[in-house]
Amino acid sequence: MNHREKYDAAFIETFMLEVKDLTGLKYQDAPAWDSVGHMQLMAALEESFGIELDIDDIIEFSSYEVGIAIFSKYNIEIDPPK
Amino acid sequence: MILMKIDPNLPIKMCVGGSLSEMVCRPTAPYSREAITFLSALSRSLLMRSDSRQYPDVASFAYWCRSANLSRLARDFDSCHKRIGRGLVLHIAPSNVPVNFAFSLAFGILSGNANIVRVPEAAQPQKQILTEAMGRLLKDPGHAYIASMNRIIQYPRDDGITSALSKCANARVLWGGDQTIAHLRALPTSPRCVDIAFADRYSMAVIDAESVLDEDDRGIQKLAIGFYNDVYLQDQNACSSPHLIIWHGTTSQTEQAKARFWLTLQTLLHLKYKIAPSYAVDKFVHLCRTADLLKEAQDCVWHENNLYRVRLKDLPADIEHHRGFAGFFYEYTTNDLNCLKIIVGARYQTVTCFGLNRQELAQRVVDWGLTGVDRIVPVGQALDIGVIWDGYDLIGTLSRIVHSP
Repeated sequence: MNHREKYDAAFIETFMLEVKDLTGLKYQDAPAWDSVGHMQLMAALEESFGIELDIDDIIEFSSYEVGIAIFSKYNIEIDPPK
Repeated sequence: MILMKIDPNLPIKMCVGGSLSEMVCRPTAPYSREAITFLSALSRSLLMRSDSRQYPDVASFAYWCRSANLSRLARDFDSCHKRIGRGLVLHIAPSNVPVNFAFSLAFGILSGNANIVRVPEAAQPQKQILTEAMGRLLKDPGHAYIASMNRIIQYPRDDGITSALSKCANARVLWGGDQTIAHLRALPTSPRCVDIAFADRYSMAVIDAESVLDEDDRGIQKLAIGFYNDVYLQDQNACSSPHLIIWHGTTSQTEQAKARFWLTLQTLLHLKYKIAPSYAVDKFVHLCRTADLLKEAQDCVWHENNLYRVRLKDLPADIEHHRGFAGFFYEYTTNDLNCLKIIVGARYQTVTCFGLNRQELAQRVVDWGLTGVDRIVPVGQALDIGVIWDGYDLIGTLSRIVHSP
């Protein structure tokens, strides 16, 4: 899996969504992305990319797109879908 | 391998793990690979369960023991000394916060020890979820080492059993009220046994009025949610939930700040909090008692049953004897935080802060030579238990140094 696929998979598996739901997705948009869902998502992303997200980044991670910007700080570039 | 010498005939119910006499007690270095592998697998399995959404405290525990966080803790841990777990740790877990037995066990495992955890007998869904998940994982041959070293047990209050276990323990982690702790500490232990006692504590919040007024609506909403989590998730029963609220600022600033903050909290309470009927009655009785006993109480603002605010005209030195529950607060307004010097004693644990420099406040605790206040955290993090708790470095205290200068 490339970065994009791994990134998407964390959202899809944690929140039971489809790829088409991801663009523009914000915290609390999907019923499953509540405060507990946020912990699940952060744990899934850290695990899948083998990184430790900074606490401030975890708090700032408010949408699918913001997450992509945050990941670039960890030198993980998530390319747009082909 | 050293096997535990514990009488197999003791009337103990095993919640997780086989019999005590088959238990292995061979300590390891803190943050061993086995410990981290087990706890991060536990984290994954708990976070995947659908019922973790229903129990945010279980989710918070699971989130805390995720692999990224444990790796960070391992990296930050004492690298100056060679360390090893003390051996066997006996944990007497509390009943007021259902997930704390799991944290206690995790601290024991991470510090490299074998652990026996006595959990309360009361039926608690969180206990059920956690023990079930641990039990299932420990059947996996991949976690055989952790399985051989750890047990979760239940038994009615019985000094005979607690004494027998205490004599085998190299360390004990005791959670409970002051009386329970005093009682447990009087039981005989091995001469080198180290006790970590989490007794009754008192906590408060300090909120800077000007900062509340400067905040935008989103910030106030966030503050109210944080405060809600600090207090209402455990009905204000956790040691770190605030009872006293000190508003820092001038009278006019604090009046405006209070109006803004409490209104936001009330809106949130309407959506999220349903008070148990017995609590509603008890709170009113408690208010009557407070009016009678606390002469510094000026008046009370009563926002339905969810929120009582007793306003103090002066700050009595023994305010720590006045506690609330399920949303019952004592409020004091001041421009001068030197008042903390008068009230803070050894019972004080957590100060949740908003709008104040926490490092500066921590420095004042040291400069003033206070005997209490172990934690100063932002509002919203009162319940975030971790490897530094109640002023102890838990992993450090539960391990010993093998010194080779």
